[in-house]
Amino acid sequence: MHRSFEIIGKVMTVAAGIGYALLALGPSLSLFVSVISRKPFLILTLLSSTLVWLVSLIVLSGLWRPFLPLKANVWWPYTLLVLSSVCFQEALRFLFWKLYMRLEDVLDSFADRISRPRLFLTDKLQIALAGGLGHGVAHAVFFCLSLLTPAFAIIALAFVTIHTFSMVIAFEGYAKGNKVDQVIVPVIHLSAGMLTLVNFASEGCVIGVPLLYLVASLTLLHCGKMVWQRLIESRNQSGPTLR
Amino acid sequence: MDRNQQRPRSSILDSLGEELIGILTPVSICMFTVVLLVCLLNSDPSSSSSFSSIATAAYSETDSDSPWDKLLGAFLNSLVFVAAITVATFLLVLLFYLRCVTFLKLYMGFSALVVLANLGGEISILLIDRFRFPIDSLTFSILLFNFSVVGVFAVFMSRFSILITQGYLVVIGVLVAYFFTMLPEWTTWVLLVALALYDLAAVLLPVGPLRLLVEMAISRDEDIPALVYEARPVIRDDSRLVQRRVWREQRSNVNDDDVENNVVRAEEEEEQRSEEISVPLIDSSSSSSRPETFLEGIGLGASGAIKLGLGDFIFYSVLVGRAAMYDLMTVYACYLAIIAGLGVTLMLLSVYQKALPALPVSIMLGVVFYFLARLFLEVFVVQCSSNLVMF
Repeated sequence: MHRSFEIIGKVMTVAAGIGYALLALGPSLSLFVSVISRKPFLILTLLSSTLVWLVSLIVLSGLWRPFLPLKANVWWPYTLLVLSSVCFQEALRFLFWKLYMRLEDVLDSFADRISRPRLFLTDKLQIALAGGLGHGVAHAVFFCLSLLTPAFAIIALAFVTIHTFSMVIAFEGYAKGNKVDQVIVPVIHLSAGMLTLVNFASEGCVIGVPLLYLVASLTLLHCGKMVWQRLIESRNQSGPTLR
Repeated sequence: MDRNQQRPRSSILDSLGEELIGILTPVSICMFTVVLLVCLLNSDPSSSSSFSSIATAAYSETDSDSPWDKLLGAFLNSLVFVAAITVATFLLVLLFYLRCVTFLKLYMGFSALVVLANLGGEISILLIDRFRFPIDSLTFSILLFNFSVVGVFAVFMSRFSILITQGYLVVIGVLVAYFFTMLPEWTTWVLLVALALYDLAAVLLPVGPLRLLVEMAISRDEDIPALVYEARPVIRDDSRLVQRRVWREQRSNVNDDDVENNVVRAEEEEEQRSEEISVPLIDSSSSSSRPETFLEGIGLGASGAIKLGLGDFIFYSVLVGRAAMYDLMTVYACYLAIIAGLGVTLMLLSVYQKALPALPVSIMLGVVFYFLARLFLEVFVVQCSSNLVMF
């Protein structure tokens, strides 16, 4: 029934399948349960960002369809593939941010109308986190869940982390106009994509995967540092509104 | 001025969009259960028996036919099915017009019993067979009987616990949807598209049966006799928001295809009426400032009970279940498409404020995404991931 399993050609037990799926999606599941499921709006943000990622993937696959299937063991077309895909997705991320800014204005004026406080900084960070998690989950589901093997699961975990936290960095970068943040996100995305190309070489994944995790932890650290700075900054502010 | 005084006040993000989630959750649960059943029970293709029903009366598909034959046969099947549904809906409208409410209620109870006992029993037996679960026939029949009778009471009576009623409605949806996924493939897809078009016609055309039904129900101020899932109404502290609930309640009738082989009419619960707010303020100063109506337009502003017909649950799950028979990737794509379509429909509902068909947008998006995923996405993703190239 699942045609993709024919490609792998091995028998999957249910326990193994669940294990691999949780390997890729475990942290995002715990993030979901602890942070996102408490606020309905965040669930909606997650669903819409997943949809955006899916649409971007469909557009990309539509564009590349005439050129597929690529010849085996030739790696340079894949470079073009990754490059074009990352550029397209980063452009889409910027558009997503624009849409989010408009929604933020609407939410703020709605809050004023019903005399509730405007969006806190933590709210905005949470929305960005939900957006990033949506992208990450979409990546994991499409690239990993159909072909459940340990390799895919491990790589997917790294990518989920990268997507989740680079969205937070990107949103804050665009909002503040911080050039460093704005540039670092596409760079991270591109380098992560390129690193997977290393897997082409035989035994390449021994080098590729740890480097990928290095990139993922760099993203995590940068995001944590940025969020921490932002929170300290807003706490030290004397004004009543948090921005 | 003091910042600390603002901290205890909750942000609007805490409760915005609760009603949407209240509808999305049961739809997702229904779809997930149907996908689970399809994965569990369809693992060996050799045992796929043909499911003969009214939907395959005109033509039963065999593997050896040419694509053109299959398409033609699927068209004939859908035509027969939609014609049967139209006739049944007009019959329902006639009965409602003649105020035969008791008959409709009894028929609804009888059909719920048939679905739960017959289809539920069949699926349970398949599951027991699959998992080699040790249970004897006496225990099984007692459990099934209890389960079905409680289900009939749950949809029949209005003073039942709302959680159990919602659970039983979802179970009925799952059971009927699973059996519809056993239709032949081409028939399923053409049938879904035909039903979406029928739904559009039946609700929006002036002679459409569902529109007549809704207008009659509104003019008599009665509830539409149908199996309808109602999301738990949200109770707020703000009195202004609370009064909006009445207003929204009366205009949120997302009606759609509710005629089925087995799904029947039922009286709407009185419970929601008794739970109404006790502060019926008529706020005439409902000025439509732009951001406010936009948020109401996307269904996030006002709090009210959104109602979705059980036919919607069933056909969404049929689409996703049929996608599950191909690959998990298509399942996810179709799920997102259906959710997006449902969101769009709810948005339109808040803007137009009358009964809207819930099937067309979601089914069209779902079908489009299924074929896009199957034709484009799968090749692309498999190409990339089989070489461990990801982005």
